[in-house]
Amino acid sequence: MKGIVTALAGIFLLLGIGGQVVAPVTAAPQEEAVAKTNLKVGDAAPDFSLLSDKWEQVKLSDYRGKKNVILAFYVLAFTGG
Amino acid sequence: MAKLEASGTVVLGISIDSPAANAAFAKQIGVTFPLLSDMNKEVLTSYQILKPYDVKGGKYQWAQRTTIVVDKQGKIQHVEQGDSAVDPNSAVSVCTGLHKPKA
Repeated sequence: MKGIVTALAGIFLLLGIGGQVVAPVTAAPQEEAVAKTNLKVGDAAPDFSLLSDKWEQVKLSDYRGKKNVILAFYVLAFTGG
Repeated sequence: MAKLEASGTVVLGISIDSPAANAAFAKQIGVTFPLLSDMNKEVLTSYQILKPYDVKGGKYQWAQRTTIVVDKQGKIQHVEQGDSAVDPNSAVSVCTGLHKPKA
């Protein structure tokens, strides 16, 4: 979403320099290199059990009935993001 | 984080790093939630978010940056991918929203 907004802002900026507004430009589909999951809202989250940084097994289903869980997948440690 | 704890939410970080790397990373950035090691890429595979990366000619498969909110029933409530997934605010608002009694 943010990407689209930024792209649109960029397009408007370019158009703005010319001082004219041309017919609405359909934003070209950006090359989105996203490994898109097919999981959707309402799907059951696949269960897993993984070792934590404290070498403990953490199982998603352990939180069932107790907590909401935010799964934050990141690329690599120490890479800022 | 306080808002999340109050809403009965835990955060789990997941990557292909080893527990040792994650322990050092956790210490460096001061996170208090668990960082999990998906060294076999089983979870990344089952969540379909393995992404190919090219690093100096080498090809790797690591996680696509993704935020998924799972509710207490084990159901997915929110999926966010790509750069916007770095910003946790929408996931947080989903969780604090889940906490509110439904009207």
